[in-house]
Amino acid sequence: MLKTDRQVLVESKPESIRSLYDKYAGVLLGYVQEIVKDRKLAEDCLVRIFCQLSEEFGDENSESPRNWAQLQRYAKVKLVSYTAVSGRTIANGEMFRRSDDPFLAALSAEQKRVFVDIYYYGKTPVMLATDLNKTEEFIRKTLKEAFAILRKSGEN
Amino acid sequence: MKINEYIESGVLEAYVLGSASEAEARELLYLKAKHPQISEALRDLEIDLEHISQSMAITPPPGTWPKIEANINEIIKARESDALTIDMPYRDRSSESSKSRKSSQFVEVEAESGHMRISKIWRWIFAAVFLLGKIFLACAIYFYIENSHNEKEIEILKTELQQIKSLR
Repeated sequence: MLKTDRQVLVESKPESIRSLYDKYAGVLLGYVQEIVKDRKLAEDCLVRIFCQLSEEFGDENSESPRNWAQLQRYAKVKLVSYTAVSGRTIANGEMFRRSDDPFLAALSAEQKRVFVDIYYYGKTPVMLATDLNKTEEFIRKTLKEAFAILRKSGEN
Repeated sequence: MKINEYIESGVLEAYVLGSASEAEARELLYLKAKHPQISEALRDLEIDLEHISQSMAITPPPGTWPKIEANINEIIKARESDALTIDMPYRDRSSESSKSRKSSQFVEVEAESGHMRISKIWRWIFAAVFLLGKIFLACAIYFYIENSHNEKEIEILKTELQQIKSLR
């Protein structure tokens, strides 16, 4: 008997998720760890995100993430719904912005705040513009600069 | 719209980091399909973000994948088995095989909040009780109708007997 598309999808799922896991589990764990500042909770979140991903993967209507940018956006949405994480996110935001993370050392205080608040804490340029009393355009430019600096420091 | 200005505006970075508004994302995806420069710039940014994030990666503990794999296998089994079997929520799942075995013996009958777990054997008991209830109900109705019919016949016979007696 011929298999349906759905059957094929479900049966090939562990391999697809596995390849995504092999490629990005470490990056995702590092990302979540920076947000929650708790290794055990970060590991739990990693499992939950991949479990949810595997459940949604079989749905023909949902497009699964294929690269880190897409997976990160997916994870960000999921993390917001985990109550254990959402409280910590707010609490750790200020602490993380002030931290001397060597990775972010090349950025100015303003660039660091914009990058961290957007990348890790999911703030929008509009929200940040209000927080910092700047224009939205300024926030976008600062983000672009921060991105360019990080890219260069990564190349060196 | 000038494409270079759009690329330089920082919208692409906001989108890649997941902070663009819905309207911005929609516009970006529309323009991406129309202008290969935007598509290329977006791809470059995604690669850059991947490089940036790699430097902050942490190797997950060895038991992480088996937990996820057990979950995937459960999903596949659940989809293959009958529609009554509802999967366990993630937080109740564990990599430990004992828990996994335990979960396969129970049916989730409510959502995550306020759950109740019952043994799968109760499904058959409930079905049997329901079926027996139906049979008893049908029997009760049948015997009730039969009884009232018989009573009517007895009444008729009694009247006939009385008539015969009175004729004699």
